[in-house]
Amino acid sequence: MGSTASRRGYTMALGLDFGYLERSARGEFDLGWLRDTNSEWGVRAKPGKTGLTLRDIAIGSYGEVPDHAPLRTMAPRGSDIDPDVPDMGYTINDKSEVWSDNLLDLYEEAVSRQWSATRDIPWGDLPELDPDIEHAMCQLATVLSEVEMVASDFPAKWLWRINHDYVEAKMFLCTQVMDEARHTEVFRKRALANGGGLGRASAVVERFLQLILDAESYDEGSALMHLLGEGIVLSLFRAGEAIAPSPVEQQIFRLCMQDEARHVAYGTMHLRYRLERDPLMAEDFHAYLDKGEEIIAMIFATPEIAEPTAILAAGGIEQAAAVGAVAGNVMRNQVIGEYLKRCQHAGLDRRGRLHLPDILLEGIPGAKVEAVA
Amino acid sequence: MTAPIDAPFPSDAWFSELVLRAVADQAAVKRLGIAELRFGIEIVDAGEHTRLFGLVLDGYEVDSVGEVAEAEFAPEVVVSGSIDSWRQMVAAIEEHGGADTAHTLNSLSIFGEPLVVRADDAMGHDKFFRFMGTLQAVFDAAGSPATVLAPS
Repeated sequence: MGSTASRRGYTMALGLDFGYLERSARGEFDLGWLRDTNSEWGVRAKPGKTGLTLRDIAIGSYGEVPDHAPLRTMAPRGSDIDPDVPDMGYTINDKSEVWSDNLLDLYEEAVSRQWSATRDIPWGDLPELDPDIEHAMCQLATVLSEVEMVASDFPAKWLWRINHDYVEAKMFLCTQVMDEARHTEVFRKRALANGGGLGRASAVVERFLQLILDAESYDEGSALMHLLGEGIVLSLFRAGEAIAPSPVEQQIFRLCMQDEARHVAYGTMHLRYRLERDPLMAEDFHAYLDKGEEIIAMIFATPEIAEPTAILAAGGIEQAAAVGAVAGNVMRNQVIGEYLKRCQHAGLDRRGRLHLPDILLEGIPGAKVEAVA
Repeated sequence: MTAPIDAPFPSDAWFSELVLRAVADQAAVKRLGIAELRFGIEIVDAGEHTRLFGLVLDGYEVDSVGEVAEAEFAPEVVVSGSIDSWRQMVAAIEEHGGADTAHTLNSLSIFGEPLVVRADDAMGHDKFFRFMGTLQAVFDAAGSPATVLAPS
């Protein structure tokens, strides 16, 4: 073995049996893969009415996802694995660290509901807008183009650390990477498509993004991003759809809204799965959210976000102060109320523990008790 | 533009025709993607009497189940509003061939009036947003066949 390679002065790293080349040339097949297999012969996954889904193939031993991964290998779960496979060094080897009960369905939904920022937005229908409205739309597009990419960066940072036994979780996170790349794309395109151009990126926004990216664990980053950050951006997308200056922006926000809600659904149900199996982790998650809830204040206290939103809602700068205040109040109630409900559904009661100034908690049931100003 | 649905709103016949129009273009339905949702449309008349109509999104299928009892239908999310609000929405869709920016399901419900979104839990509530494109396309079919995405 390896004689040809060593004669030519280089070494082989993979441990191949080069003698096999000669044996197979003589017609001597190994056939170990055929005869010595432990895989489940006879498994026939049946496609459902939408095709062959991940749920359809979660059958027999192939559908059993171990609570703790026995190996750290890229071998497909359920395959016969050579005993001398290398250790890939995964650091996330427990199912509860990444799993959620809705994961398989969310993946299928994500793949099925993909769209194209190039093809599916009627860019040619963009109307000429009042310059103040165009500026406001472009500023909002700038912020959204900025914040959306972190939701690609974060899962991408953690993907290679997740054990391959949880491949469905990895696949779902891959769809999120693509979704958020498309959001970054569509808002960048909007800023550049109608004469306005990109607006201002603020340090405050960047600091929150850094908090997510620098999270010390997937738990921490997922709570900050999937549950908190994306929940808030989902509210911004809802608002965007409602105050869009034309059907073009309305289409953009509606399509983004669907993707974002899917990520929030994963984050909420992942936290629930995690806490059901380890209730003692609740205090850890409280601590993560204590650190990040300032982002809720950020959307109301950052001029680069609050003001363009108010101007779009009012239809101009002159009316923005009055209309913006009313719309801001409604949105504040909605953002905080929906966030509290998601936390509650996940099994983490944040009522009375929100780290937000009192002024933002006025009139929201259960939000103000013991709130930290 | 398509002629208005030839049935009174709200009625089982109106929602059945709506769904027939919405699924007529199967290519458009496929491009919207799969959805799983039990969706309730609650209509409150002047006497505070409520009627609930059900839509079921199941994969690529959309079914109207007509007027239902809420406890039996078990909707995951319900959008509720006065009959006048719903009629105004339908009229706007018929006039424009689809909802204009002021008359989408989202824009009419985001402020909690004239439409209200309610659900037993956060996951049901968020499904309204996850499948908004499909739901809007279904209602837009009152003004034209479902084509929520721009033509290729």
